[in-house]
Amino acid sequence: MIEFKGVSKRYSTGQLALYNVNLSLAAGEMIFITGHSGSGKSTLLKLVALLERPSKGEVIVGGRPLNKLSQRNIPHYRRRIGFIFQDPHLLHDRTVFDNVAMPLLLSGLAQADIRRRVQAALDKVGLANKEKNYPLMLSAGEKQRVGIARAMVNRPTIILADEPTGNLDPELAQDIMYTFEQFNELGATVLIASHDHALVERMRKRTIVLQKVNP
Amino acid sequence: MSSETASAKNTPSQRQNPLKIWLHQQRHAIQFSLERLWFNPISTWITLATIAIALSLPTSLYLLVHNLQTLTDSKSEIPTITIFLKPNISEQEAKDQAELIADFPEVKHARVMSSNEAMVDFQNRMGSDDIIRSLGKVNPFPNMIIVTPDLTVLGGTEEGMSDFIARIRASKNVESVANDTSWIMRLHAIFKIVNRILLIVFALLGLTVLLVIGNTIRLDIENRKEEIRVTRLIGATNTYIRRPFLYNGLWLGFFGGVLSLLILHLALHFLKEPVAELALRYNTNFSLVGISPVLSLEILVVSAILGLIGAWIAVGRYLRQREVSE
Ligand SMILES: Nc1ncnc2c1ncn2[C@@H]1O[C@H](COP(=O)(O)OP(=O)(O)O)[C@@H](O)[C@H]1O
Ligand SMILES: [Mg+2]
Repeated sequence: MIEFKGVSKRYSTGQLALYNVNLSLAAGEMIFITGHSGSGKSTLLKLVALLERPSKGEVIVGGRPLNKLSQRNIPHYRRRIGFIFQDPHLLHDRTVFDNVAMPLLLSGLAQADIRRRVQAALDKVGLANKEKNYPLMLSAGEKQRVGIARAMVNRPTIILADEPTGNLDPELAQDIMYTFEQFNELGATVLIASHDHALVERMRKRTIVLQKVNP
Repeated sequence: MSSETASAKNTPSQRQNPLKIWLHQQRHAIQFSLERLWFNPISTWITLATIAIALSLPTSLYLLVHNLQTLTDSKSEIPTITIFLKPNISEQEAKDQAELIADFPEVKHARVMSSNEAMVDFQNRMGSDDIIRSLGKVNPFPNMIIVTPDLTVLGGTEEGMSDFIARIRASKNVESVANDTSWIMRLHAIFKIVNRILLIVFALLGLTVLLVIGNTIRLDIENRKEEIRVTRLIGATNTYIRRPFLYNGLWLGFFGGVLSLLILHLALHFLKEPVAELALRYNTNFSLVGISPVLSLEILVVSAILGLIGAWIAVGRYLRQREVSE
């Protein structure tokens, strides 16, 4: 499903973030990426979501080399991905409900379907009673969960999560991990970057450790 | 977990009918753009007022010119040329000649006014028998032909008119020609210039509307950069991002047009009474020509389109500048 072939990424600043990464992920697999801060975990996820381009090598998703994807098709490709950002990027001028509804509006769903699906997603992350709140009234952990609900609400085939449990207490972190696992059992390919070793080990999934590259 | 949120297979967008998706997206964009206008009342009203004023100026100028034109075009003011025939020409001969003249392409129609008719007309106008009595039994009027020229054929120029009159003067049986056309020709020439000026004013103020709306949208985009960035991150196409802004421009143009119509109607209402009074004094039944439904529609359509174009330019500029990154 996701394949990295000799991928290196050097940022325009000259910083080498990834060096010669080779990785293969089957459809429906769930894996963890760990490594120290600055080892390139976020960069790897961004390459899959086409938020960055590799400097060398190839990323292939669903049998399709991403560098062959035309500019026009990138938005459609991105909609199949649920990206949970390290900073959840919520819009402060709209409610939790409206934030989570965004991907569904993109897909042009009817109002009734949107309501149903957003409520289900918020229920899933334990925020059913917060749908009318604005992000500024939420704790960091709650914001993170809104970001998770937004990533999941459109039933993506690939879920990319960048430190999704960074701001959560251990119990909640565990719950969220189970939620990912459930999505995975329903067929989604899941890629989670985390430096919480204990949590990753408890999940008993394939784990890839990134070493910090020394340029 | 319910299967509601998580069935990774077949996303709904693949199952739904594309027309339905499109319609839903339009509805969201319309609703969203109207909400934005509603919740930013100050900036919305300032923009609408600016647009309304910019549209009212040329339209009121147009109405002024239009009214003056109707005033001069009204029945009694149609310019005529009076041909005085030689005294020995009989009424029948006059009729034959009138028919010949009526066939000229420059002539709308030509009719004979016999010496008797002229006398009666004269009597009616003077309203008194004194002068007539002093004339005795002699009728001083010859047979005449009254010609109404076709100004469109004459090209509306004074030279065209004087050439035409010269030709008539030279034809047989004609004693003299009186014409009261030169002033109307001058007026037409002035109207031509005024109409050009009007066109320029329309163009300039149309441009103003375009710029005002474009700028409003540009500021709106500046305020919503984060929103645009996030929607892009989750897979919005340029079309999708552009849509609410286009509606926004459309609404601003349309409602600006509505407001300007309101202003114009109020202004006309304000003028109605004094104009009627003036008309009464001049013994005419002239009344102000208002804004026709067609003109109203034109104003609304044009301003809405200007808004759309302004928004399109503003968003286009922004979208071209950026690539996506987190
Ligand atoms: N946009 C960027 N521009 C320049 N350097 C970057 C950028 N993003 C990340 N880096 C650098 O690349 C390296 C890897 O970063 P990152 O992928 O964020 O690692 P991690 O998520 O594992 O902490 C770091 O040294 C970081 O400073
Ligand atoms: Mg990171």
